[in-house]
Amino acid sequence: MKIRKELWFGFIIMGLIVAGTLAMLISAPTITNGHLGLMMLALVVVAIMLGFPTAFTLMGMGMVFTWLAYEEDTTKTLDLMVQSAFKVMSNDVLISIPLFVFMGYLVERANLIEKLFKSLHLALARVPGSLAVATLFTCAVFATATGIVGAVVTLMGLLAFPQMLKGGYDVRLSAGAITAGGCLGILIPPSVLLIVYGATAGVSVVQLYAGAFFPGIMLAGLYILYVIILAKLKPEMAPPLSEQARFIELPPMTQRISDAVSNRALPALLTALKGSRNAGVPSDYILKQLGITLLPAIVFALVAGLSYRSATEPLDPVAAMQSGGLAEPSGSLREGRGASGGVQEPPGSSGGVQEPPGAGGGLQEPPAAGGLQEPPSAGGGLKEPPGSGVQEPPGASGGVKEPPTATSASTANAAPQAAPERRSASRGFWIGLGVGAIALFGLYAMLSFQRLEVFKMLLASFFPLVILILAVLGSIVFGLATPTEAAAVGAFGGFILAAAYRQLNMTMVKESVFLTAKTSAMVCWLFVGSAIFSAAFALLGGQELVERWVMSMNLSKTQFLLLSQAIIFVLGWPLEWTEIIVIFMPIFIPLLDNFGVDPLFFGLLVALNLQTAFLSPPVAMAAFYLKGVSPPHVTLNQIFAGMLPFMGIQVLAIFLLYMFPAIGLWLPQVLYK
Amino acid sequence: MQKLLLAVDRLSTWLGQLFAWFIVVLTFLITYEVFSRYVLNNPHDWNLNVQIMLYGTLFMMAGAYTLSKNGHVRGDVLYGFFRPRTQATIDLILYVIFFLPGIVALTYAGWGYANEALAIREQTFSATALPLYPFKFVIPVAGGMLLLQGIVEIVRCITCLRDGEWPSRELDVEEVDVDKLKEMVHVKDEDIAALDKYVAPANYVQGGKS
Repeated sequence: MKIRKELWFGFIIMGLIVAGTLAMLISAPTITNGHLGLMMLALVVVAIMLGFPTAFTLMGMGMVFTWLAYEEDTTKTLDLMVQSAFKVMSNDVLISIPLFVFMGYLVERANLIEKLFKSLHLALARVPGSLAVATLFTCAVFATATGIVGAVVTLMGLLAFPQMLKGGYDVRLSAGAITAGGCLGILIPPSVLLIVYGATAGVSVVQLYAGAFFPGIMLAGLYILYVIILAKLKPEMAPPLSEQARFIELPPMTQRISDAVSNRALPALLTALKGSRNAGVPSDYILKQLGITLLPAIVFALVAGLSYRSATEPLDPVAAMQSGGLAEPSGSLREGRGASGGVQEPPGSSGGVQEPPGAGGGLQEPPAAGGLQEPPSAGGGLKEPPGSGVQEPPGASGGVKEPPTATSASTANAAPQAAPERRSASRGFWIGLGVGAIALFGLYAMLSFQRLEVFKMLLASFFPLVILILAVLGSIVFGLATPTEAAAVGAFGGFILAAAYRQLNMTMVKESVFLTAKTSAMVCWLFVGSAIFSAAFALLGGQELVERWVMSMNLSKTQFLLLSQAIIFVLGWPLEWTEIIVIFMPIFIPLLDNFGVDPLFFGLLVALNLQTAFLSPPVAMAAFYLKGVSPPHVTLNQIFAGMLPFMGIQVLAIFLLYMFPAIGLWLPQVLYK
Repeated sequence: MQKLLLAVDRLSTWLGQLFAWFIVVLTFLITYEVFSRYVLNNPHDWNLNVQIMLYGTLFMMAGAYTLSKNGHVRGDVLYGFFRPRTQATIDLILYVIFFLPGIVALTYAGWGYANEALAIREQTFSATALPLYPFKFVIPVAGGMLLLQGIVEIVRCITCLRDGEWPSRELDVEEVDVDKLKEMVHVKDEDIAALDKYVAPANYVQGGKS
């Protein structure tokens, strides 16, 4: 019975397309080549819906219509085909697709999602709806790093769904959080969707990444906000965690210190170190704990020191620019190299997070420091602060050694230009420093041994991923590396991550390599097909016809945007995002000029919009992946119902982005204008 | 017959997987280039061209492999709900009217294109010129493999029309392999089934439809 419904749905869409085409052909006074082009477009949508591999549908149909457009000149047709194929083969934007895909598979197989979810849900235990919030958080981070919707939803369905159900969470809310969270990776860079859009529309991928960063964060933030508010208003849907679920067991030696001295980590460890009250615990153990405990302080000192240095740098934009430009690369490289020692790649992303203002030229805002320190005050008692944390985990001898290198590197670079006298630091810097210091003090006042354990877990799961993402993104967005280079280094980071988690073996690498080949072949052959297809469409003059037709409707900019987004939304039902972008973007993009729409901005809207398609019943893939691993009594309808509010939030996000384009365009403008 | 089909499958898979390793080469090549440029201050002008050739060869040669594993994206809004015979009919028709002409043309045109490049020993435009014609030969080779694999797929469609079910394919690693993922995070089927007791009450409230 269900099957019928699905089939009807498809047939109705197909029928509408055919009817529309017929109406157009009949109403046209004379049938020109342009009409032929539109007919081809309609035919291709129908053929794709029938289920034949899209790449070959496009190729075959494109060839036939090219041949018609060239007035049956076979030689020209063949030339065009082979040149389209070669153009895709030598496209330097598309190289990053296999690399990012490879990085995703490696990270997925490093198997840190279990730890990630556990540490986040303990860290967020006090937030209302904590399990759902932790789910969204985990999804956002993991989906961003891997970009594989199916795997993330399935894994979270296996890990988080049981926990939420046991915790008495509403089935629909749980399902919604998992499916919505799993789809975040499509939007938040580094995502393959944006590369595909960039390659099709001729927009710089770098700018797209910079532009999609805040909308992506905003969407994740809205999801989390929704869950928190819902949990506050209707606690029965997301009850707080039981004491038992929140309990964190201390390792025996830590327990001994905690019993003997006090439960406040820093003072207790310091006291325990003083010989007489060693409490029967080996000193090196205490020292190790102390090292970890002091990490946030070390990071803070480092950040403060570095930003003091740049804050007091002479006001010479060129110098500022150069020192930023030179100091960073070494950092971003060390991330690749130094990482072999531990799990983390500190200086790289500390540079990545920090340097930006320097690259922007102008004077240094200490708020950079403030911004980094914010987490502690926001996170309150939670272990969030080290979000700025960029340090190496245990065995931190490397970590201690590294910073000086970073500092000296930037000193070396700064020194020659520092000949003009140094400015004194602005008041903002001292305010930032003060706020940070207070937050740090507050952190240590609240740091119990239990929280230290959570912090250690985060160090081993959350930070490596966040650092990997930020290092990759940072180096792209700040222009240190091309997306290709960043993707390759990211894939290298994936290797290291997998090695650090003892998951690196031949089977795992083999699987990732083969999957990468299949996924890249799928996407890139689609490009080969669509290159031939769009050439045919352009040759037939379909583009002009569409343009004339759209202009004759006398749309305002808003109406045009609404109409185009609505069309893309509807197409999202029968088609996949890859198909929509490679087939339809070449048609929409040339129209943008007429309405003064920035292709970059349009791309962001499209990316958000296509995300919605992943959550819209009845074809949302995410729902089927979740259904595949949920207990038999969870129905598809419940999952769909759970997805609806999140879909509503996506529409809200599109609306917000439309109303305040600065959400997306601010960062690219600051960086590249 | 089935043996021959599987032999072609295996050839496509073997070739595709062989060239798939280029991704590892690519990763290390670029990582090293980044290192060499920023740390050793020694960029190589040929590097980008090598990158492009590796990437192009990788995905072109994986085309037939992907086809043999049914991995090319299809619109499955309807397809998944058809019976196998209906699926095979549609596939058969479209293989003949879209796939065969398209791939034959691509292979034929690619052959001429590559031979032209070979005749003039075409090179890249970079300071360190690399031979470009081997890269162009990838087009006819990949096209030929796709054609071979496509014919196998057509035979599969016919077999399916006769038997009413799809002939088997060799297994390959899948993107979302639920069993493997379950093993990875240590979840068993019983655990999932045991969760039903938390879900069932909600269902009764809704009228017990299941």
